[in-house]
Amino acid sequence: MVQFFYFHLMPWPHLPADFDQREPSAWVTLSNRHYDPALGHHLYNEYLDEMEYAEALGFDGLAVNEHHQNAYGTMPSPNLMAAALVRRTQRAKIAILGNALPLHEHPLRVAEEVAMLDVLSGGRVISGFVRGIGCEYFSLGVNPTYSRERFYEAHDLIVRAWSEPGPFCFEGKHYRFRYVNVWPRPLQQPHPPIWLPSQGSTETIRWGAEHRYPFVSVFNSYTNTKRWIEEYHEAAARCGYTAPPEQIGFAAPMYVAESDARAEAEAEPHFLWLFRRGLKIPPNYLLPPGYISEESLRKFLAAGVRLPGELSYRELIEHGYVLVGSPATVAARLAAVQQELGVGIFLYSGRTGDMPKELAWKSMEFFAREVIPRLRAHGAGIRGNASPGGAGSVSPAKRM
Amino acid sequence: MPCRSETIQIGDLDVHLLRGGRGEPLLVLHPEFAAGRWFPFHDELARHFQVYAPDHPGFGSTPRPDWLEGMDDLAMFYADFIDTLGLAPVRVVGLSFGGWIAAELAAWFPERVSRLVLVGAAGLKVEGVERFDLFARPLEETLQQLFFAPDRWVQLLPTEPGTDTLLRMYREATTLARLSWNPYLYDPKLERRLRRVRCPVLVVWGAEDRFLPPPHGEAYLRALSDAELVLVPESGHLVPLERPEVFTARVVPFLSR
Repeated sequence: MVQFFYFHLMPWPHLPADFDQREPSAWVTLSNRHYDPALGHHLYNEYLDEMEYAEALGFDGLAVNEHHQNAYGTMPSPNLMAAALVRRTQRAKIAILGNALPLHEHPLRVAEEVAMLDVLSGGRVISGFVRGIGCEYFSLGVNPTYSRERFYEAHDLIVRAWSEPGPFCFEGKHYRFRYVNVWPRPLQQPHPPIWLPSQGSTETIRWGAEHRYPFVSVFNSYTNTKRWIEEYHEAAARCGYTAPPEQIGFAAPMYVAESDARAEAEAEPHFLWLFRRGLKIPPNYLLPPGYISEESLRKFLAAGVRLPGELSYRELIEHGYVLVGSPATVAARLAAVQQELGVGIFLYSGRTGDMPKELAWKSMEFFAREVIPRLRAHGAGIRGNASPGGAGSVSPAKRM
Repeated sequence: MPCRSETIQIGDLDVHLLRGGRGEPLLVLHPEFAAGRWFPFHDELARHFQVYAPDHPGFGSTPRPDWLEGMDDLAMFYADFIDTLGLAPVRVVGLSFGGWIAAELAAWFPERVSRLVLVGAAGLKVEGVERFDLFARPLEETLQQLFFAPDRWVQLLPTEPGTDTLLRMYREATTLARLSWNPYLYDPKLERRLRRVRCPVLVVWGAEDRFLPPPHGEAYLRALSDAELVLVPESGHLVPLERPEVFTARVVPFLSR
């Protein structure tokens, strides 16, 4: 069954007027004097209202994420936002996409908080795990050369903490706990589904396929998304199974309006805000030493990839970084993604950059009322045969 | 003065080094830039000593071993290097990151070092003195920050640009980050440990160093029991590259004593 999530970054749209000329980055060094807590109070609540409204409109889930010290997304603790949503929603899955494991000195805290959310929500939590982007290794002082090691080790610890009766001793290279004994335990057994939002590194794709964790391609061109999802399908095949649609996710900024022309015109400044301001990141912040392998860097250099910030609005649309148009147009694009890539999880990123509330709400109403139903009808024939993310009692194999 | 390129095995590692000159051995430890490069100041030193200029593990043509996780690992590596080549006790000159290694080496293994020259050595933090963040800045900006004269930095640009050079630089930056991302370019324990250094130390600092300003040299002077500080006017961080004649005029007599 195809699923639709309302994905929020909770951006800080109130950049200084001279941002484009004076500020080299929206991350790490953009002074927090540009954050106005009184405006922030209003925005946080408006954003949460929006997510609650998304549930009312029929989205299957709501997705939050972790980013630090920037204007692109003001959710340093996604678990706090998940908690705020859990008590105000009844049905929707709450997807944390995700906790940035290597940035945490205490992964048991992640295990505890996600377990709390799972119990509190009655088992509605999806637990994404990510590494955090390069900037965050500057902002939190974590050594980027250990990023991947810490990610794997924290993951192993958390999964064991959720699924193995405590107390037990965990002595890894980066994390050591004499007494692992997490209270509460998660409600979903053996643990909440684990998802992998990713920028497509080869290591993550292979590892995710081995664990049967749903792979979510986030904010990329259609070409890259296609390449990575195919890589994931191939990795799954090498592991001896076919990845079902429930295991493939696609996240993109989307905007739906009455007509293609109107949608494109209305969304333009806000999509450009995302790629030219929110994602304005100097290369050194984006790629600290050791954050990716030499092998991945060699591939990146060989591909000669252009950063989305360098693309025109027309190119962003044509390359598939953003989906914009009438309900029929957007539904057709997503149906193609569904068909060609076997995607079963769509993450609609709606409140892009400095988009005003009225436009964001209009678009999500169009999406919920006129796009989702078309795709549900379309996807009815596509059925999965596995339980992704190791979730639920139907998947005892994921118990580690 | 010609130098030879050699590879020798130290423990489990194939170490690349440049060697030149005749006489008593002198170990020259390169900064975080320019591994495997032989500069005019090397020639000048090689007129008086047999100069050993190895690429640190994880720099230049020496691979980065998995065991390299801290400055103590590097100090022990260089103790093995000195023992394998039978150099002890040896004169050591270290520049910037190489100066930090030299200081750690002399603190951990004081009996292996006979005379020590620290040039703009990293390794110490001085309260209230800002340090330039080389991880956060583009390479060209970092190189410009190293010199007083505006035209000198280009000598540190890679000699053969291309993908392999970029990958080597990424590997070197990864080694440096592994050892000094946080704490940034210093070891909180080094200052106290420097009391163990037994040999005479010459601390050489560019008076116009904007990368690790001169108070860092003064901190070395305070922490060492037998040290002298030479402030070189009109020089930035890398005195041997910016004022080679002043550098050798001060350093050769000190090393020859």
